[in-house]
Amino acid sequence: MASQAETYVLFELAGATYAMPSSSVQHIEMMEHVTLVPNAHRAIDGVVFSRGQVIPALNLRARFGFPRQERTLRTRVIFAQVQRRVVGMIVDSAREFKNIPAASVRPIEQALTGVSGNYLRGLTTVNDRLILILDLEAVLNLDKDESLATSLSEVIASGAQPTPAALAH
Amino acid sequence: MQKPKLPSANGQSAASTRDSAVTDINSMLLRIGRGLDAQNQSLDDAANVTNRMAASLKETAGQAQSVATATEQIVSSINEMAASAEQMTANVAQVASAAAQTTSSIKSVSGSIQSVTIEAQEMATSAQEVTSAVTEVAASVKRINKDSEDLATSLTQSAASIEEMGRSIQSVSGGADDLTVAAEETSSSMNEMAASIEEVTGMSESLTASVEETATSIEEMARSIQGVAQSAEKITEVAGDAAASATELDRSSRSVNELVKRTEEITRRVSRQADEGGEKIQQSIQGIARVSGAITGTTNVMRELNKRTREISGIVNTIIIIAERTNLLSLNASIEAARAGDAGRGFAVVAEEIRNLADRCAKASADVTEIVRGLEDVTREATEASTAGARLAEESNRQSEAGLAGLKTILAGINESSSLVAQIARASDEQIASVKSVSDAITLTLGQTRQIATGAAEQSRGAGQIVQATAHMRKAAKEVSQATAEQSKAAREVMKAAQSTTAIAGQFRKAMNEQAGASAQIVQAVTTMRQSAASTSRAMAEQATAVEQISRESDRLTGKIGRVTKAMIEQARSAQEVTAAADSLRQQSAQAARAMEEQAKAIKDINTGAGDVAKQIKLITRANLEHSKNGVIILEKIREVSEVSAATAGETRSITASIGTLGDKPSTRDPHPEPPGPSGKRGRRPASAPAEKSSI
Repeated sequence: MASQAETYVLFELAGATYAMPSSSVQHIEMMEHVTLVPNAHRAIDGVVFSRGQVIPALNLRARFGFPRQERTLRTRVIFAQVQRRVVGMIVDSAREFKNIPAASVRPIEQALTGVSGNYLRGLTTVNDRLILILDLEAVLNLDKDESLATSLSEVIASGAQPTPAALAH
Repeated sequence: MQKPKLPSANGQSAASTRDSAVTDINSMLLRIGRGLDAQNQSLDDAANVTNRMAASLKETAGQAQSVATATEQIVSSINEMAASAEQMTANVAQVASAAAQTTSSIKSVSGSIQSVTIEAQEMATSAQEVTSAVTEVAASVKRINKDSEDLATSLTQSAASIEEMGRSIQSVSGGADDLTVAAEETSSSMNEMAASIEEVTGMSESLTASVEETATSIEEMARSIQGVAQSAEKITEVAGDAAASATELDRSSRSVNELVKRTEEITRRVSRQADEGGEKIQQSIQGIARVSGAITGTTNVMRELNKRTREISGIVNTIIIIAERTNLLSLNASIEAARAGDAGRGFAVVAEEIRNLADRCAKASADVTEIVRGLEDVTREATEASTAGARLAEESNRQSEAGLAGLKTILAGINESSSLVAQIARASDEQIASVKSVSDAITLTLGQTRQIATGAAEQSRGAGQIVQATAHMRKAAKEVSQATAEQSKAAREVMKAAQSTTAIAGQFRKAMNEQAGASAQIVQAVTTMRQSAASTSRAMAEQATAVEQISRESDRLTGKIGRVTKAMIEQARSAQEVTAAADSLRQQSAQAARAMEEQAKAIKDINTGAGDVAKQIKLITRANLEHSKNGVIILEKIREVSEVSAATAGETRSITASIGTLGDKPSTRDPHPEPPGPSGKRGRRPASAPAEKSSI
């Protein structure tokens, strides 16, 4: 069944629904407090402290070239693990958990790819809802984006101390 | 008559034989004296009577003359008076013929009288002869007595005739009276008529003048009436205009009054409404205050509600947070379950259910949040509205206060104007009353003026007719004036004639009256004469003295007869004049005949009266003839007697004187014997005694 269907965590960003495989997701947290770090990538808002670890918080809107948005009650930070690296991705909201059959996932056509076509793996429709399936690795491809990698590595390397900010779990 | 003196002379001569002779002489003288007394008395009486008779005869003559002249005057006046009386002419002719007859009778009377006179003279001579035949005294006395008896009878006859004449004269006098009365009446009525004609003339002249004046004044009046009529018409017009104006004024006054009343009512209503408005404003101020309070309360409630809502909102937020966390937890649980594989499948289901609950909770919370947000909005709006309402209420309050103040001002103004309007209404009422009275007066004036105008128009018409009539009247008045003037002239002439007629008639009447009186005197005298004759006769029969009386009577009668004769002559002359007058009267009567028919009757009466007069005159003449006859004799005898008496008186005087020389006794007798005369002067006992003796 795993080959036939995969579980995804759905999240929303700038009005569109994205999906990422739940297997990549460690856990999800509410956006509590971001500690700004100097010389960070423009898409990285800062670092967050989660489960004893300091994790870089990547603003996915910024990553995708969307305008930033104020943090709300629904703003979530999805902690995902890619290549042994855990990154917190700030999204508008993340509230659903879906089983999406692989057959329903269709690859993104070249024409539609456009500028950000690199970060999507495909798309699907659930109940006439268009869901974009995120290419997590592309998003977190640090090789291609040195500054990001650096930022991330630096952030990770510095071993940023988890701030004693009150984190409600 | 010398013979009686002789015995006296003889007696005187015999006085030498004194004593006896004196006694005789004295007794004789006494008798002579008595006889003389009686004789004198008788002579006096006779003389008186004769004188009276003569006087009355004279008067008769004069009266006859005046009758003649009066008749002439009457005739002439009748001629003047009666311009056209043919009948009267005939009557006048008859009068004339009667007068002619009278004249002829008078002529014959006068002839008779003349012959009487002659006879009387002859009788005188014969009386002288009688005297000479003293011895035949007795016979003569007898004759005289007889004559005196005849005389008495003739006197009686004469008296009767004279009485008859007197009666006829009376009747003539009565006729003359009637005539006079008629003439006077005629004259007076003529006078009256003339006076009235004069008056009428004067009146008609003044009538003409006054008609002229009246005409002019009527014309003026007509003009002024026309002016009045025009003025009245103008006045009517003006009054009509005035009436119309007054009506209009009345109407407009009424409408003004109505308006004023309506204004008054409106003002009152406005005042009432303003009062009410003031109350309302007060009420609204109070209401606004209450509203303000309520709004304040509402605001407070709203605030409270807001607070609660916010609290709700916080709670909902908490719930939402819990729901979000629950969702997050379930999601993480699902992730973990998915990681666990099959083992975690149940857990995954629970997680999903939890996530669903959380989603529903979140959804409900979102709804609640929505609702609360809407509630918050509403509450906020309500609060804002309340605040605004409170502000508005405050403002309204303020404005209401200002409005109240304004209303109070308005009320004061309304009250003021209301009193003014009431005054105006009162004034308007009074105005209406006065306008009504004015209108009534004008209407009345109009009616009266219309009547006046109608009357004036009628007056004007009538005045025109009056003017026309006045013109006719003027003409007629002129004609009347002319006719009246002519009439007046004629009447004046008639009046003149009537006056002369009246005067003549008056004279005639006077003459007649005198004649009547004279004839009465004649009658009396004749009566006296008769008595005297009777006494003479008696004396003749009884005594010789009667002769003396007869003589005296005759003497007197002679004188009277002479006068009568003279009067007769005059009468004759008068009768001739009467005749002549009658002729002219006849001529004039032809002219006077027609108009004086009534006077003709009187003239007829006069004519008959004149006939009577003529008759009477004839009778008088005849009687006088007889008187003459007798009277001449008597006269002669009386003359003789008188002469004898005178001689006797002279002798008696001498005898007395001689006797006085002889003795004292007779000295008491006879102082101055007076000569007796036919004049009837009183003489005492002269020379009658010899006559007495001789007669006896």
